Amino acid sequence: MSTLQSSEKLSPYHIVILVYMTQFGVIIFSLPQLLSKAFGTNGWVMNLIFAIIVIVNMLLIGAAYWMGKGKSIFVILERAMPRIMLYPLYLFLMFVWSVLGCLVAKEYVLIFQMIAFPTTHPMFFKIALDLLVFWLMIQGIYNISKSITMLFYLTIWMLPVVCFFYADFSWSRLTPFFFREGQPSPVEFVNIFASYLGYELILMVFPYTDKKSKLIKSSIIGSLLLAFIYTYLCIITFGFFSLRQLQRMAFPLLDLMAYIKFPFIERVENLFFGAFLFTTVATVVMYLWSAQETALQVFKRANVKLVAGVLVIFAYVIAFIPDTLSDVQHWLGLFAQLEIGIAFILPLLLVVVLAFTKNKKEAAS
Amino acid sequence: MSNSQTESSLPTLAHTLDQFEDCMDLSHREFPNLGVHAVYLNTLISGAKLQNEVFKPLHDLEPDQLTTLFQQSQFEKQTDDKALILGILSGKAAVFAEEQVYLIDVRGAEGRAITNSEIETTITGPHDALTEQVSLSLMLIRARIRSTHLKIVKLSVGEITKNDVYILYIKDIANMDNVQELKQRISDIEIDAVHDTNMLIQLIDDRPYALFPQILTTERPDAVVSKLVAGRVVGIMDGSPSAFSVPSTFYEFFSSSDDYYQRWMLGTATRMLRFFALIVTVSLTALYVSVTTFHYEMIPENLLMTLVESRSRVPFPPLYEALLMEMTIELLREAGARLPTKIGQTIGIVGGIVIGQAAVQAGFTSNILIIAVALSTIASFVIPNYTMSASIRLMRFGFILLAGLWGNLGIAIGITATTIHLCSLISMKASYVTPIAPNQPYEWRDVFIRAPFNLLKKRPTQSRPMNMTRVKPKR
Repeated sequence: MSTLQSSEKLSPYHIVILVYMTQFGVIIFSLPQLLSKAFGTNGWVMNLIFAIIVIVNMLLIGAAYWMGKGKSIFVILERAMPRIMLYPLYLFLMFVWSVLGCLVAKEYVLIFQMIAFPTTHPMFFKIALDLLVFWLMIQGIYNISKSITMLFYLTIWMLPVVCFFYADFSWSRLTPFFFREGQPSPVEFVNIFASYLGYELILMVFPYTDKKSKLIKSSIIGSLLLAFIYTYLCIITFGFFSLRQLQRMAFPLLDLMAYIKFPFIERVENLFFGAFLFTTVATVVMYLWSAQETALQVFKRANVKLVAGVLVIFAYVIAFIPDTLSDVQHWLGLFAQLEIGIAFILPLLLVVVLAFTKNKKEAAS
Repeated sequence: MSNSQTESSLPTLAHTLDQFEDCMDLSHREFPNLGVHAVYLNTLISGAKLQNEVFKPLHDLEPDQLTTLFQQSQFEKQTDDKALILGILSGKAAVFAEEQVYLIDVRGAEGRAITNSEIETTITGPHDALTEQVSLSLMLIRARIRSTHLKIVKLSVGEITKNDVYILYIKDIANMDNVQELKQRISDIEIDAVHDTNMLIQLIDDRPYALFPQILTTERPDAVVSKLVAGRVVGIMDGSPSAFSVPSTFYEFFSSSDDYYQRWMLGTATRMLRFFALIVTVSLTALYVSVTTFHYEMIPENLLMTLVESRSRVPFPPLYEALLMEMTIELLREAGARLPTKIGQTIGIVGGIVIGQAAVQAGFTSNILIIAVALSTIASFVIPNYTMSASIRLMRFGFILLAGLWGNLGIAIGITATTIHLCSLISMKASYVTPIAPNQPYEWRDVFIRAPFNLLKKRPTQSRPMNMTRVKPKR
């Protein structure tokens, strides 16, 4: 029912959209270039491989969810070891998530500055974005998921616009060859996988779900939706630009959108990029909300608004350090490595802890 | 208030007269042969009723027949002083006899006749509207719902004014939690006076600081009936021609009774037009400011020439130009709303033609901006609910400022902020943005479109009705 209560659990539909919107971000604009550079011809196929990795990771998270019967990861961890020992882990998670949120926001404002406001300081825009994030994150996960659902509908209308490129799409540009002329490297792999990150934050929504939420199934559907949209957009881009063009463009999808012309408006990439603020807010808010949830474990009696405020200010201050877009992307690559580690190791740790506590219980009984 | 009104005691004539001291409209009539006194406010009663119900029976009476007379049902025995005073204040006559007091309802029905609704006109369908006189309004509703399941509960608000508020619901459809919650909220109001339903809803809504109205008001009895059968709870206040229904959704403010009286395709098209009007109202002027300030590259070459030409003589930046025009339009609207209809038309001519054309010729503003501002203002009037339309017009200024500051990004920031604000709102503890969040796809057919009636089998989940299924049409 639609009554809003603090005990309200997330519905499967909202989880699908929450996961999709958290993962989806401005990296899509450069994804075709990253894929073409790393994997060469038909690099878009790699989206499917990344989707499989995400699903495997999701099943690992699922194992922790099912074994822990939906309990909060903090409850699971604190049952197994003293809280004081967990503080370093909490602080580390807080740090990584708030910096990731800050970098995603900074990347967005830097790209926007580049395409429309070359003379304005990007941190000026970031104030507005961070205020929105603060406003949303203090409202709790249920309202966040409601807002993200609304924002989803405000972005999804852009997908049919891709039909404009059908006429200029050429299968021959895709070539019959797979993964030629690419230079794959672990760093590139991580950079591309960063575009799929965000799904691991479902670790934090365990206590806000119940059996009806079908958390893991819904999250996998959300990720598959993302993989489908990424793949679709990449195929169109690979069939529109040649491989050499793609490898040299910084934001192929943005350039692609610049081709769209209506009788009364053109260069709509500007408008579309504005609409990407919605997905950026969704991603940033989920990272910072996760950091906030972790911070509340360390500072149990702290006021939620105060914690949120401190985190947002911290994220804003940190954002001053990486100055240019390449700096931000470099930092994003580094923090993505840490986040991939968290995405795999944290659920693994939970599974081990749960198995250990279960054995201990059985032995005691 | 004086203590005598708050502390109840047995009613006496002397005390009653004392309470109404210096009230020139109080009448005191004595029947010495019977030892009976009648006290009433002559401004509230109907002379004919008083004559028929009180004076005539008393006139032909012998003293020993008094007891028999007062056994008749219209004589309501009162033992509480406070209730007696309140009864006289509501238009009843108090009859003091043999140390007993009786109240007789002789209220006068003076007031505006039933007329068309001024703010919710429809092309097809019924044209009558609720009136300030609650008995007439209730009559209009009761006449449309011939069921004993329609329940009407009376409450009172205003510490001094003590206005009557009636809560209406259909038993076995409306959720009793909603009824209880509404009763509680109305009982909890502590204020000197409530003058109108639109004021009352601001005292009972969930988020008093919100921009948008969270409770829908209507003047149309047919709309009230449709809300009641959908499981919502309706409130009507004496002295106000508006009724309100709870819980309400944001999208309800974009639907009109006309949608249901026309063919479903027309109803659907009109509803979609209203959502399009919402987009135009909010974004058109803002987009003009954004494009002409920061994103000239978005304008096709042919159009660019026209735009540059029309803006070439304007000495202000687009933001000032747009704010100037928007303010002018708002001034015209407000002046038109406060003036008598005939002068209002003159304002329209003066504003529309003289100011618009003169402003362009004087080089104060561009032609294209005039078109944008006029279109967005017209679009705002397409939204059927006046309160919502006014909230959206106010929001438009925020969008224009943001567009002037950050261009398209500013508009995106405005949309995000509005979305967050909307999603944080609740109406009677239920989500304001149902059926999008929480997602109820079935209900989209009666929100974004108006599906044929045989497809509208379920009641809206937001009102949490006791019975979800409507009676299904045979075809």
